[in-house]
Amino acid sequence: MSQSSSDALGAAVAIPAVLGYKSPQSRPQRRFAFRVNSDTLLQGAALMGALCILLMLASLLAVLFYAALPAIRNFGFGFLVSTEWRPNELEQPKRGPDGKILIQDGETVMETMPPAFGALPVIYGTAVSSALSLLFAVPLSLGAALFLIRAAPRFMKGPVSFLIEFLAAIPSIAYGIWGLFVLAPFLQQYVEPKLKTMLDPVPGMHWMFQSEVMVGAHAIMRPLSLTGRDMFGGSLVLAIMIIPIITAISRDVLNQVPRAQIEGSVALGATWWQSSKEMLKFSRSGLFGAVMLGLARAAGETMAVTMVIGNNNQIVPSPFAPAQTMSSLLANEFAEASTTLHRAALCEVALILLLMSLIFNVVARWLVVGKNSRAGATH
Amino acid sequence: MNMASTSMNDVIARWTSRAMLGICIFFTVLILALLILVTGYLVSIGFKSISWSFFTEVPGGDPEHPGGMRNAIEGTAILVGLAGIVGIPMGMLAGIYLAEYSTGSRLATPVRFISDVLAGVPSIVVGILGYELLVVPLGSYNGWAGALALAFIMIPIVARTTEEMLLLVPNSYREASIALGATKARTILQVVVPSATGSIITGVMLAIARVAGETAPLLFTALGSRLLTRNPNLPFPSLTVQIFAYATGPYEPFKRQAWAGILVLISLIFVLNLVIRYVTRGRRA
Amino acid sequence: MLALLKKTALAVAVLGSSVALGQVRLQGAGATFPEPLYKKWVTAYQAKSSQVMIDYQGIGSGGGIKGITEKTVDFAGSDAPLSKSELEALGGADKVVQIPSTAGGIVPAYNLPGITTELKFSGEVLADIYLGKIASWNDAKIKELNPDVNLPATAITPAWRTDGSGTNYVWTNYLATQSEEFKGSVGTGKAVKWPVGQGGKGNPGVAAIVQQTPGAIGYIEQAYADQNKIFYGSVKNKNGQFVKASPAAVSVAGAGAVEMMKGSVIAADIWNQPGDQAYPIASFTYLIVYKDLGNVKSKEQAAALVDFLKWAVHDGQQLSSELDYAPLAAGVQAKVDAAIATISYKGSALAQR
Repeated sequence: MSQSSSDALGAAVAIPAVLGYKSPQSRPQRRFAFRVNSDTLLQGAALMGALCILLMLASLLAVLFYAALPAIRNFGFGFLVSTEWRPNELEQPKRGPDGKILIQDGETVMETMPPAFGALPVIYGTAVSSALSLLFAVPLSLGAALFLIRAAPRFMKGPVSFLIEFLAAIPSIAYGIWGLFVLAPFLQQYVEPKLKTMLDPVPGMHWMFQSEVMVGAHAIMRPLSLTGRDMFGGSLVLAIMIIPIITAISRDVLNQVPRAQIEGSVALGATWWQSSKEMLKFSRSGLFGAVMLGLARAAGETMAVTMVIGNNNQIVPSPFAPAQTMSSLLANEFAEASTTLHRAALCEVALILLLMSLIFNVVARWLVVGKNSRAGATH
Repeated sequence: MNMASTSMNDVIARWTSRAMLGICIFFTVLILALLILVTGYLVSIGFKSISWSFFTEVPGGDPEHPGGMRNAIEGTAILVGLAGIVGIPMGMLAGIYLAEYSTGSRLATPVRFISDVLAGVPSIVVGILGYELLVVPLGSYNGWAGALALAFIMIPIVARTTEEMLLLVPNSYREASIALGATKARTILQVVVPSATGSIITGVMLAIARVAGETAPLLFTALGSRLLTRNPNLPFPSLTVQIFAYATGPYEPFKRQAWAGILVLISLIFVLNLVIRYVTRGRRA
Repeated sequence: MLALLKKTALAVAVLGSSVALGQVRLQGAGATFPEPLYKKWVTAYQAKSSQVMIDYQGIGSGGGIKGITEKTVDFAGSDAPLSKSELEALGGADKVVQIPSTAGGIVPAYNLPGITTELKFSGEVLADIYLGKIASWNDAKIKELNPDVNLPATAITPAWRTDGSGTNYVWTNYLATQSEEFKGSVGTGKAVKWPVGQGGKGNPGVAAIVQQTPGAIGYIEQAYADQNKIFYGSVKNKNGQFVKASPAAVSVAGAGAVEMMKGSVIAADIWNQPGDQAYPIASFTYLIVYKDLGNVKSKEQAAALVDFLKWAVHDGQQLSSELDYAPLAAGVQAKVDAAIATISYKGSALAQR
């Protein structure tokens, strides 16, 4: 009892104290009859700060879970594997077991299909866009990190590091606006038509430039319109955004490699690349962690993706089709979702996104931080 | 024979090495070129679009009178300020706990780990938390919810940098202070924290730089407003949300405002990064 | 230390109230369809009553209805009249006042570089485009309507709304009257699942996609197309005539609206109306408030809201046609006036200003 009351008091005292405010020593304590040890106070306050961090994660999980509950109850596990995301009711002619439309007393029998929510398209969109962005970003970032650590002249290291850290700090909306107005039109006008003329005639590549559309019960194939605002464009913007992050962390990880490790192999006559390979191999778990952090960032990124990915809530195999990620779905629909179920479904998507990012981050920290004592995460 | 094949392998190895080095250099140049291209474009078009009225006027009613983004700039400043009032002390306390009180505590490892993990939580998810916690109960989109979401993002960053910076303070300072008869609290507040102030400010600025550019957590919390708003009980304007709305719309005059807004954001982050660099100089590899 | 905390609290309080001194602030949100007009209204109204500040956030009709239901806004804008379940969520039909504020036409806007002749569309062709059945601009069905235009083989990118939208509601309902297939596979509603194309947020988002994408088509309120000089076509109406959207053509479509507004519900669906001059994809847009404004903070605020509504449906109508919206007809206006007169604040009638 007394412990908890001194905790609360501790917070009130410690905040101004930390901000550099000193209460005049001469003034006697009037309000509180009991004397509180300043050590207990600060320790209590600090403990409260630490508990606050635990509370934050707990509240995040609890609130989202609670808000998602109607959807979890309604759809169960099917939510994760259903591809249908249809917020409206649909009136359709009822079909019999033989697939024929039922007709009764000369009139078509209608049935109302309730709204349906399935997360598979956005899970797919997030997975593919993140994976593609890693495909673009990882080789570039690792190459650059290796160069910075092992080959760059001393005078270059500082400015280049600064530049990369600055670029990692640029807000995603800036990359998004660039993607929307510069990258997407460029892809639309030059890159994608050229890729189409190059790849489309190649046997087995045709799927990249068409999509299947279901009209009623039958499917038709139609050519994709190449707009630059698609999975490909979204992944490129993501890649540009995560390159500085992966580069910066990989550089830190490579910097941890003991000098002796490398000098030894160089002394034995290894070439630059052979010893670099040693270095990469030595720090592979840390580098993998760096990649995971990039992945976590890519998977959770919202603004840039929303502006460039095309916002189509469907699974289309082609990278040149518009897609949707979990975060862009939330940005697009959350403020306007007017039915309880729609909102709960969005909250469940948010919960999945949170759990996924927690897993990525936990694995990454374990790899980057766990092996070295030092924290590798820079922003 | 054997000699020849070894030297042949050597040659291949040497050439592979040169090629790989070349590729690494090429990648570095490519990255830098790409990123300079992106920021260079944003900055140059921003300069073309910015004007004095951008800072002094509020948005106008129609595309012929686009006005400025004064409300949004002030809005972001107030939101970040409010978030800082909560987030900075909280984060610092957690950092102090991790650095000074964690010995023998079973709490330290999970707290350290979770604050790292929290720093990587998608910010849009934090926005939904803000919506559920402060928008629904208060009955209106409001500035508080936006500030809460931003504070949520600040706390783990401030906590971890504070811890790291406090750990850099030599233990001899603490020992000397204790030896002179100071209590642990006094030692921390008057010796350890002050000697790390510069670096802690870095962490604070890092956190500010991060949240000032956040858009996603504000979409469903502060929502945005076209008016000059200083009452956090109301829907609250912010630079990023307004940029997003302008950029995704069809109106040229408003798009120019978005570019100018991006320039303001990038300049802010550039300056903060320069300061951070200056404060932590000599401490980095 | 307590003093410092007090100071902070005080500073925050002062910060909060400095704007509120002598000023009334109204918060609205919802449809983007009338947003260009509402922004004009707000500016004009503020010139008249400088103590009233009005903020309208165009977040989509669905968002507006959600906002008024959860009482997060003082008034909502929606292009779709409240549905039965939405009315229930608001506490029943006798708890809310829903008034048409203006009417407008939703136009099929497109981006086809080099084509300067105005294209003709029919509801069936538009439905097939949005179903994905028509994939390129030189499809036989489009050619049939536009025999004189040299249509390119460009692929069509249908652009649509990602948010809960009254424009969606009107557009899907209209297309559902034109194509059974559309009705059965996409259906109607404020948010639906589109089989093909790209999503944008709000009318502005769709307009921006059309603007930036050669080959794109989108449905937007006429004002967005006019203000941004985006081409749009004429649409075949119920009488078989091709009509281009205009305030006059929308007014013709709305001519029968008064008879359709039965009882206390002042709402009418005016798409696909008869009349040679009637524009087929026309719609009212509505303002929604609680009949008893107990949700707003003060009587002063409630009075200001009522005054704004009155001003909007009378003086505001002159601004409508400037932005190519159709002003309310006299018969509708009379019904709206009667509805506004029933609004009260915590049981007491609001002073008739």
